[in-house]
Amino acid sequence: MSVRALWIISHDKGEAGTVRFSRRYATVEHRAKLLAGTHYVAVPEDRAIPQLLLTELGLVEPDKPYVAMRDDCARQQHSPAVELRVDGPGGRTLWPVLTITQGKLILACLPLVEAPLEPRPPLPSLASVSHGLALLSGLQGFLCGPAGKLPEPEVLASRLAALPSVLLRICPLGTPLDKAPQSGVTPAPVAPSPGGTQKQPAWKAGLHRGRAVVSVALTEMVRSMQYGNRSRQDLWDVYGTVTCKCEVEGVLPNVTVTLTLPPNGSPLQDILVHPCVTSLDASMLTASSIDDSDGSAFSGPYKFPFSPPLESFRLCSYTSQVPVPPILGSYQLKGEENQLKLNVGLKLHESVKNSFEYCEAHLPFFNRNQMGNVDVKVSSGQLEVSKEKNLLVWIIGQKFPKSREVTLDGTVHFSGQLPGPTDPLCTDLTAYIKLYFRVPDLTLSGCCVDQHSVQVYSSAKSKIVTSRELVSSEYYIWNSTGDAPVSSGLLML
Amino acid sequence: MATANSWNQRLSNFLQSPSQFLTCTTTDSFLTDLLHELRDDKANDNTKILLLSVLLEHPNVLCPTVSVGEETVQDLMSILTHAPQKSVSLKCHLMLTITNVLVCTSCFTSKAKVAEDFLDLLFQTIQDTNDHRGGSAHYPVRATACDCLREIETCYPGLLSQKLEALYQFKQQETTVLHQSYCLLFTLGLKNAIRHLAQQKDVADTDLKNLLTGNEGLAWKCIDTQLSIMFPFNLMNQVPQLQTGGDCKELRSIMTLLLEESYLLTPVSQASLLRELVEIVAMVPALSPAIFKSQLLRLFGTGEVELLHVTLFMKGAFTDSLFSAEDENFFLKRLVGMAQHPLLTIPEKLFYMRCILHFPENRPISSHGEECLPVLVTPRLAASLLPTVFNDSNTMLCRLNLLCLVHLEADEGEEGKGLGYLFDHVIALLKIVDNHGNREMTVTSFKAVFIFLMHFYHMEKYSEKLISKVCELYSKNCCLAPHLINLVDRIQESLEDSVWASQLFKALQKSIVEVSLSQLTLQNLSWHLKILGRVAKENKIPQRNTLYFLLNVLLNSSLCERGSWQVGNAILAVCRNLLKHPTLNQVFIELADLLQYMSAHYEDTDIQDHARFYYTLLTNLSWEKLSGVLAKGADGGQAKIRSLSAIMAESDGLTNCLTIHQTDQPVLQLVKIQNQESQKSTTSATKLEDVEKQGALEFYQEQFLTPGFASEVTLQYILTYTEVNDSLFDRIFSICLHFDLKDSNYAEVSDICVPCLFRDRKPPEVCLKLKPRLPYPTTVNVRAVFTTEDGLSWHTQLPDVTVSFPEVFLPLPLPPGTSHVLKQDVFDHLWNAMSSGESNCAATSLFCFQIGDSSLNDLIKSHFESYLISEQLEQNGCKVLFFLPPKFHVLLKIEQAEDSIQVNIATDNWELLPHVNAYLLNITALSNMTPSHI
Repeated sequence: MSVRALWIISHDKGEAGTVRFSRRYATVEHRAKLLAGTHYVAVPEDRAIPQLLLTELGLVEPDKPYVAMRDDCARQQHSPAVELRVDGPGGRTLWPVLTITQGKLILACLPLVEAPLEPRPPLPSLASVSHGLALLSGLQGFLCGPAGKLPEPEVLASRLAALPSVLLRICPLGTPLDKAPQSGVTPAPVAPSPGGTQKQPAWKAGLHRGRAVVSVALTEMVRSMQYGNRSRQDLWDVYGTVTCKCEVEGVLPNVTVTLTLPPNGSPLQDILVHPCVTSLDASMLTASSIDDSDGSAFSGPYKFPFSPPLESFRLCSYTSQVPVPPILGSYQLKGEENQLKLNVGLKLHESVKNSFEYCEAHLPFFNRNQMGNVDVKVSSGQLEVSKEKNLLVWIIGQKFPKSREVTLDGTVHFSGQLPGPTDPLCTDLTAYIKLYFRVPDLTLSGCCVDQHSVQVYSSAKSKIVTSRELVSSEYYIWNSTGDAPVSSGLLML
Repeated sequence: MATANSWNQRLSNFLQSPSQFLTCTTTDSFLTDLLHELRDDKANDNTKILLLSVLLEHPNVLCPTVSVGEETVQDLMSILTHAPQKSVSLKCHLMLTITNVLVCTSCFTSKAKVAEDFLDLLFQTIQDTNDHRGGSAHYPVRATACDCLREIETCYPGLLSQKLEALYQFKQQETTVLHQSYCLLFTLGLKNAIRHLAQQKDVADTDLKNLLTGNEGLAWKCIDTQLSIMFPFNLMNQVPQLQTGGDCKELRSIMTLLLEESYLLTPVSQASLLRELVEIVAMVPALSPAIFKSQLLRLFGTGEVELLHVTLFMKGAFTDSLFSAEDENFFLKRLVGMAQHPLLTIPEKLFYMRCILHFPENRPISSHGEECLPVLVTPRLAASLLPTVFNDSNTMLCRLNLLCLVHLEADEGEEGKGLGYLFDHVIALLKIVDNHGNREMTVTSFKAVFIFLMHFYHMEKYSEKLISKVCELYSKNCCLAPHLINLVDRIQESLEDSVWASQLFKALQKSIVEVSLSQLTLQNLSWHLKILGRVAKENKIPQRNTLYFLLNVLLNSSLCERGSWQVGNAILAVCRNLLKHPTLNQVFIELADLLQYMSAHYEDTDIQDHARFYYTLLTNLSWEKLSGVLAKGADGGQAKIRSLSAIMAESDGLTNCLTIHQTDQPVLQLVKIQNQESQKSTTSATKLEDVEKQGALEFYQEQFLTPGFASEVTLQYILTYTEVNDSLFDRIFSICLHFDLKDSNYAEVSDICVPCLFRDRKPPEVCLKLKPRLPYPTTVNVRAVFTTEDGLSWHTQLPDVTVSFPEVFLPLPLPPGTSHVLKQDVFDHLWNAMSSGESNCAATSLFCFQIGDSSLNDLIKSHFESYLISEQLEQNGCKVLFFLPPKFHVLLKIEQAEDSIQVNIATDNWELLPHVNAYLLNITALSNMTPSHI
């Protein structure tokens, strides 16, 4: 359950990588040597690591179309672990190196193999692998935050500088004890333990004092692929997360959050819960997106009793199959010499609240010259042409008109001098519209957290705040006159 | 001496590459510097923590022996005990460092006193449960102490096995967040103790009880336990069983309590705890796996990768004694669902896909360990994992591999819908490549084709379609030639009976030879030649069309007039393969025509020569001889290596032209000639009179104005064979030795050429001339290129040559025959200058050791004779001068004091002192004397 070494490497396109942070665990290495015997492969020095790792990740020599060391078709990476060829091709290898790539940053660690190395043991038989993955994803969260975007260089540098003290707490000797805190948060000072016999949870460094406030936020993301074509069935699905922040007194206070569905709502599937949930009803876990859901499945209420940690956390997540997509679109292109005739229609489903925070449709054009004359009319909202002249942005705004339908018609001429961006998927008439929208106070599955259903077992009366929202994610409408790529095999069978 | 900043730089240099860093200093002196700075009260804690990180991460580099480890730990222990109360973080780092040094330098196995002291200290620290003494600021120190004990117990399983009672009590008493550390420590101790017990033969019922109530010293007898016999339980090995008749009541209640409290641990630690508990239950038949039942639902619902993984571990350990068929089905579905869950990270999802392939079934069909699909994974269940073009490369390839297995297993036949989908997917990828997908996409697509073929090469419908698609792709994107050749090579390696590869080549050959000249560009031609060259290696493919194509190109285009060497060479590379082709007699005339034409018309002399050479070979040798000649060098399975007579392929650089074979092991070595004093003098033509006229010192100093004066050290070696006895190398010629320095302390060394080396003759001598910039010990990497009797060139790596410190010593550079009086004069002047303290670089030092009378003379004779300044041994000692090129001196005054020998040292470069010290230690230790420092 230990890791031998840990690296954080940054690389810019075309440049060799640099080790930004590294940690070697000498006692674990000592064990690795004893366990592996003659099969032991030492960890190379830090200066050699970036080149070895970038080769395996296919990132060296980006300008050369084919490099034998990098591009061999038979070298199937047994992801998520790669092997480093420390002795060059055909030589001995260091395995298993786990990696997480986040933009220009690569996080990597080398878990200890506590099994005979020959023949190579399967990855799932090694305890250290999941510990290594958890360690890396924790560090990723610490360095980059929940948004998963690389912070500014100075912020990143200061977080990297804080790593030694974080590792002292979460992984002092190579065996992880905890995950790193989110986005550079330094651990809260430890409050003195109450004299009682109740043991303080290790995931809760202190105690809350003061007014009790519980906030529960429900966010649903909707994905869709619409083809407007009989041979390709349209797809859409929803996944949701419930995020809580509980400021409640006591060492192990009890809180219960209940999710309810409307009558005839389809059951929540693939439910994942936070480890602080104390008990689970078996029937809640049975619904799965890979099964045919039958009508008899459990459909709530979903009770989650738990004892909250101090920080904000994801109580649970689910997926759901909803009967209709919130916005149904059609997109038709007709191509003539250097120009395209566009015909777009979007219809907001009647069950969806017509009150957006924002709603935009993006129409990108690839593998063509820049746009010249744009002769397009919209029935509602405004149309903008991007600065690069390869994208139409249709700002529909906060509301659809009463008819709940909007249209866009017209012709775009690609008479610009410069070639626009390329995309190997979107050739000829293969093109898409991508929708971006957010609707506050709505969930598509109908799932909701009633303020009154949140129970806090504590002496003081607590304030409860709940919220919900629907946000688009990967919401595509493909041109029905083109050849759209298949996005899921599920319906093909 | 060094500020925090300069330490920063030094430490980061060290961490980047310890070996490079240590070329400029010795481990000894670096360690001394480190410890000195750590003891400095003025340095702040953060700097000290930084300094410790070096020892923490590389204890073996800085403490190469047990004794150095012990001494270092002693120093660190004293720093730890004297650290102020508030330096909590420093104390933690000290404890971690001490643990690392003790474990890595084997201080525990040698049962060193410091190791025992440190364990005592750790125990004292963890006894203060709930911080009655230390206060809450003391938290991290206690936590670290627990962690250190846990790591030591992991490295030496069983060491704490007689202390379980105390550890259990601590765990029970602790109510702060630290109870996690105590809990993990106790559980690990418990597991290891039971493991030891289970490995014993006769176990009485009371043994287990005694174990749980034991509160004695450390079990040092366990220190030599082999770690590998403590491998955690997994599918491949069997756990020993504890055969006791007792009911294990106490143990069961301990286990129940641990499980109940597991909720209070962080998820990562919960996973560790559960693994230990699973191992215990697996070892003790009296405990039922059912005690985990209450945890299962919580574990099934988790999104934490380590907790789900531990559930899988339980599944493998207990199969149907804990998991019903329904549970199994549910669990597997859950895994499939998680392998594509939108809220999990990509590495986690990839890991779950691996887990599906290694799912421990209750009723496994195949043997353990191999990748194998559980029966429950049907095409229907796995449909959500079908790959799409929207997946990232890794996910897509993993899914494709998994789904290929699923549909192969399902045996749907060629008409299966799922298989059709997978094929369409592969075709869609090739289409993206055709639409100029990026480099990554191209590589991914060829990997996908490879995966698909590995599973379904036998289905003609698909393999034939794939051939036509790939050909079509190639005809539009000729630059894919290297990818295609790689694909075919790998397919041929993996599937020996596959006809797919040769069918593809046939199709490619056909499509190339049909290209009309008007459409042929020079760039595409060179790709085509690459493919045709590779096709010509296929014995079963007729080559006539290739030859017609080449002839057509040569006769009907301006290629010959343009005379591009590279294109000509690529054509000849095809010809070379054709010469070896078994159907050569069928194309004999055409090939002869082609070669003759090239030798007459190609506007490049080199190409003409080679074409003529091949023509001569073709017309004069039988095919057997021809392929024998051309195949030379290709034996031993190294098909890519060609002999010098081969023609380089178009893409190869000039360096590849001299194809050089690599020896598997070093076959040569340089052995130092020990007695070489005569060679060391740096002769000077000046007459002795000048010395006397000018005055010794002035003369001496003036010499250095001549550039290059006394700047070289000459070391003599013999070049000889290593123990590798290969008759191939019995007679070798034109040996060129190339030297690479591993640091920048010396100037580049030029290559040395040796005409020949025969195994049955006297080995030749080699003079290595080193020009030091700074006269430190160094290591030189040596390589050699040579020719064997059969004309092949070889490259071999020689064992490194190490140049020790005394090897750089030269006697005082004065003309031979200079009288001792004059030498003394120079010595005294230098000594006074160095000990005056005027120069920043100069330093003096003192080294003492004990010795008998006679052996001092021996010592001086054997080590200092050529460096003596005084003519004879003076009564109580002597003066010694080492000159170190380019301009440094080390002066020694050796004197017999009352009870020891004192060596006064003066030098004009204080950085040499650690080396001098190490050298003196070494020679005095060799003479079996006891040195002591001052």
